[in-house]
Amino acid sequence: MGDYQGYMYRYDQIDQTLVNERVAQFRDQTQRFLAGALSEDEFRPLRLRNGLYIQRFAPMLRVSIPYGLLSTRQLRMLAHIARHYDRDYGHFTTRQNIQYNWPALERVPDILADLATVQMHALQTSGNCIRNITSDHLAGVAADELEDPRPFCEIIRQWATLHPEFSYLPRKFKIAVTASPADRAASELHDIAVRLKYAADGALGFEIFAGGGLGRTPIVGKLIRSFVPRADLLAYLEAILRVYNRYGRRDNIHKARIKILVRALGTAEFTRQVEQEFASNRPFAPRLTDQEIERMRAFFVPPPYQQLEQCSPGSADPAFQAWHRYNTRDHKVRGYRIVFVSLKKHGEPPGDVTAAQMDALADLADRYSFGMIRSTHDQNLVLADVPQRSLPELWQALDALGLATPNIGTLTDMICCPGLDFCSLANAGSIGIAKQIHARFDDMDYLYDLGPVEIKMSGCMNACGHHHIGHIGILGVDKHGKEWYQITIGGSSAAPAALGEVIGPSVAKEAVAETIAKLLEVYVRERHGEDERFLDTVRRIGVEPFQERVYETDYSAA
Amino acid sequence: MRQIIRRREIVADELRYAGEPELDGTISVQTLAEWIAGAGCATAPAAVLLSASDEIETLAPHLQSVRWIVIEFAKPGDGRGFSQARMLRQRCGYPYELRARGVIKRDQLFFLARCGFDAFDLDPAEDLAACLPAFNTFSVAYQDGSDVLLSVRRRAPAG
Repeated sequence: MGDYQGYMYRYDQIDQTLVNERVAQFRDQTQRFLAGALSEDEFRPLRLRNGLYIQRFAPMLRVSIPYGLLSTRQLRMLAHIARHYDRDYGHFTTRQNIQYNWPALERVPDILADLATVQMHALQTSGNCIRNITSDHLAGVAADELEDPRPFCEIIRQWATLHPEFSYLPRKFKIAVTASPADRAASELHDIAVRLKYAADGALGFEIFAGGGLGRTPIVGKLIRSFVPRADLLAYLEAILRVYNRYGRRDNIHKARIKILVRALGTAEFTRQVEQEFASNRPFAPRLTDQEIERMRAFFVPPPYQQLEQCSPGSADPAFQAWHRYNTRDHKVRGYRIVFVSLKKHGEPPGDVTAAQMDALADLADRYSFGMIRSTHDQNLVLADVPQRSLPELWQALDALGLATPNIGTLTDMICCPGLDFCSLANAGSIGIAKQIHARFDDMDYLYDLGPVEIKMSGCMNACGHHHIGHIGILGVDKHGKEWYQITIGGSSAAPAALGEVIGPSVAKEAVAETIAKLLEVYVRERHGEDERFLDTVRRIGVEPFQERVYETDYSAA
Repeated sequence: MRQIIRRREIVADELRYAGEPELDGTISVQTLAEWIAGAGCATAPAAVLLSASDEIETLAPHLQSVRWIVIEFAKPGDGRGFSQARMLRQRCGYPYELRARGVIKRDQLFFLARCGFDAFDLDPAEDLAACLPAFNTFSVAYQDGSDVLLSVRRRAPAG
């Protein structure tokens, strides 16, 4: 492959120098901590902004995957890190990153040095700063997008990286960039959503939402600017960040996100302050030139697609047919298909992938998908550019790796945080519940009959598992030292985003799958035809019929 | 006498804060409220102390004869002073000493300098000489700043 670097942004000398110098800085900070020159309190904010948490059993290192895009060279390095520094696996997160649960603190600088050799880092994957920029995992291949949002993701990533003014914010800050009305990045649940938009004269600009977020106070973002000219994108972001940095609450960690500021001021007043700051600061703010946009666009040109004929799926095997139906999607180029690699196999924690699987996937991506791979915010991977005629071969290879569970979009394609098994914040386990649900719903035909049902699960109210926006949301709570689970229904991450409604008192650990079975029973009874999704039925009939079924007292056994 | 870092050199501090003994040649630092109250008649070089919640907009009309602005970092992780500094340097065009004081360690110096601070009154536990290399932590940046870096990726042609 020689100098092959993938169809993605490629570092120049400036980018490479920056990550190399970051490694040196973190090595020095780690050494000072280990030598006792930095206290734990002093080291914490420094290690956090490099993605290093001290977890329940060991440190946890979160590595940044900007907008979920990876070359196979990078994926092989992620496998190497899992094998060499960790316990042979990694965990893909809901923010398109990967985290390792068992690295030794003193070796983290070496991990970062290894990452830097493949143009990767752990910068700002944690801490009160601007986090990884997330985007549509189908960017560039979806037929419904305005244009590829990734050049703008990279422009914003660079602007946000080591930003001198915005590195000590009141709280973490998440930005998503999308260009499709389908909003596959849950952008309205971000601190800022940037949406590509064309003006009436065809000029490209951006629609800006602010103040969305999950956590313990879930709020859908508010539209604050219907059109920002492209030259002013960074200036406008800077205005929002400055208003937040100056006036966001710092007295209470649970009220420090921008959503609380937007809510307290009201959308109109917050917008007025941002507009005023934008106007005052514009002479000093960065202007985005068309030259720079073109420079970035050149990195994201489409790979050299062949002229292929549209062909039929290619195998009559019912297992292949099921996989083809659930785990592949239409591609905008004729003769190609988008393939989802399911990380939701029964018995495995959602999002987990072994070093051997990563290496094998890298080989498959080289063979079938131009050497590129993507991570999704629902913790699967994507091979975005697969020739249709190669699908049977690819399916067989994925199946042999345990990565072809035909459940994308179905009930068992769950989002799940690491929960009490790993996370020191969690109140309750989530991986065990995922296993319980997998075991209860192992009949694929039943799942297919149910159609799309998104289950999202968090082990605490920090909501890393996005439970508020699951069609069915599950939140782990601690009651007198026991794990209980609060269930919500009716949430959605797709535009227009919606927050789920709590159905009633939380249920015991062993009753979670059974409770879901009851919810689905009501859905199957009430739904209007096969095309009405679970979410649609909830929206049509409300939560009461579901509550009645879940909490009805069963007198028949008395 | 207290030592500070000024333009990457360790020097003796000439400023005196409330409650500190008056020494010859030292200059008393006034709070923003004190300064605004007496600003009309002040002609001698003055030093003003800003807390994180003080508004730059309040100080902006009264910058004449101010030669030192000290921004207080009272709590670790409170980044409001970074915005105050950039607003003073850019919007107000303030050209004189801008000092960061408080719970600051060497790990913040690089960003502080990029935001326009040129003097640093650090956490007393810090060894000032050992802090000086921190100004060179990075030789490159993605944003324009008040310091001089080898290489800044510019988003717009200069001028």
